[in-house]
Amino acid sequence: MLEMLSYEFMQRALIAAVIIGLLCSVIGVFVVLRNLSFIGAGTSHAAFAGVTLGYLVGVSPIALAILFSLSTAWTVGFLNRKGYLKMDASTGIFYSLTMALAVLFIGLMKGYNAEVYGYLFGSILSVDTGDLWIILSLGAGVLLTVYAFFKEFHFITFDEEMARATGIPAVRLSFLLLTLLAITIVISLKAVGAILVFALIVTPAAAAYQLTHSMIRMFFYAAAIGIGGSVGGVLLSYWFNLPSGAAIVLLVTALFFLAVLFSPKRRMKRAEI
Amino acid sequence: MKPPVIQFSDATLAYPRGIALRHVTLSIAQGEFIGIIGPNGSGKTTLLKAILGLLCPTEGTVRVFDCSCHKLRCHHRARIGYLPQKDQVDPDFPITVRETVMMGRYGAIGLLRRPSDTDRELVHRALEAVEMDKQIDAPLGHLSGGQQQRVLIARALAQQPEVLLLDEPTTGIDAPTQHSIIRLVSRLHREMKLTILFVTHDINTISPYADRIALINRKLFAVGPPSEVLNKETLSEIYGKQVVVTTKEEGIFVIVGDYHHHA
Repeated sequence: MLEMLSYEFMQRALIAAVIIGLLCSVIGVFVVLRNLSFIGAGTSHAAFAGVTLGYLVGVSPIALAILFSLSTAWTVGFLNRKGYLKMDASTGIFYSLTMALAVLFIGLMKGYNAEVYGYLFGSILSVDTGDLWIILSLGAGVLLTVYAFFKEFHFITFDEEMARATGIPAVRLSFLLLTLLAITIVISLKAVGAILVFALIVTPAAAAYQLTHSMIRMFFYAAAIGIGGSVGGVLLSYWFNLPSGAAIVLLVTALFFLAVLFSPKRRMKRAEI
Repeated sequence: MKPPVIQFSDATLAYPRGIALRHVTLSIAQGEFIGIIGPNGSGKTTLLKAILGLLCPTEGTVRVFDCSCHKLRCHHRARIGYLPQKDQVDPDFPITVRETVMMGRYGAIGLLRRPSDTDRELVHRALEAVEMDKQIDAPLGHLSGGQQQRVLIARALAQQPEVLLLDEPTTGIDAPTQHSIIRLVSRLHREMKLTILFVTHDINTISPYADRIALINRKLFAVGPPSEVLNKETLSEIYGKQVVVTTKEEGIFVIVGDYHHHA
């Protein structure tokens, strides 16, 4: 049982699982409460397009992933704020545009590149030391920013117009939140993959939402579910030789359904009826 | 005569889609209780947004605390408490009464800082003022519509405002609760010397309490004491419908044709 901890790849995978599980679920609380789920899905596909272009032209895939996901998140946010296009419509456009770009870039590559597919489906067991440093440093940056602006993020999530009226720079903060979302997605890309990262953002927060009426507690529950799910997923993946991304997402989703079943909120509503 | 806290001078307010209010000239003195009345879509909320500095006039000027719209900085906005129009709070949104009211302090606390004991004390006092201090730890979603409005008024009070803007605070609440909300606002007006702007489409609930009534529909039709402006001619012009106005000992009573069926 403990011998697996002597493998360095397992140590790295478990550290990555804890950080990514924590990061995704914290950002996920805002995503779920602000209805940003679909914009996150679009952003993760944009990030993948950035990765493929990076491999194609020989530039850092992570740098291009950040560039692609940030420009998608900001453009969608901008179009929505200016009233040009509703967020889900513009996200839909970018979702397929960036996926088309990814397919194009893969098509232009000579031969099959296993690493690129690693970013699509995730391979937390192949996270190397360089990846881990990126995860640690960017992850710390995102968490510190959330901590610093926590009360303002809480306010704009509850009532953005009211927050503006009180003198809080709500528009800038909502773009900051989109930025944090984009960075979180990029950090998690290699470990869980572009297709699955979104489950790790939305599902723990959605499960926590079932369980509490306090936003502070919602963060702790989401983090526990996110970290538990991703660490558990890594272990399942190691023991049963399963694809890690799938194991993490399936475990987190199972926890979500448990939360729905045992939700005190729903129980109370049933009692009221 | 006290100096005006809010001064509209020939102000036209517009959104990208079109003009909402034309050439408004209106001066509101410190400590006044103004009822703002008009049909749906008449520009009532727009008027409040201009005072909050969320919408600057395309023509003319709006000055609040003697600041023009573009210069209305955070510390000025903090002096204006605002109760936005709300369908109803999302009952599942994870927030407690305490957290909701503390949000009123966030503008004053500033970025990167945490609430102090003074802020907690102000939250407590604001909740006492609206008689909701017993429910301080309740989830907001568990309260009734009227109780939620009280908590949201407390949030505005926690800002320690000089001006209180209330946008349709009585809509979607049963009649006895409506009256208790208006009595509460009237008491806050007297005890805290607040300047009140109370937006509603219900003339009869507001007219006994307001010092002046402003009647608007895309422009300012009339402003003055209820007994002067609430007459058949002005009201039918605004609503474009039959209006019955009766004056009794208890006050003025207005019935507007079939307005609600078309709203």
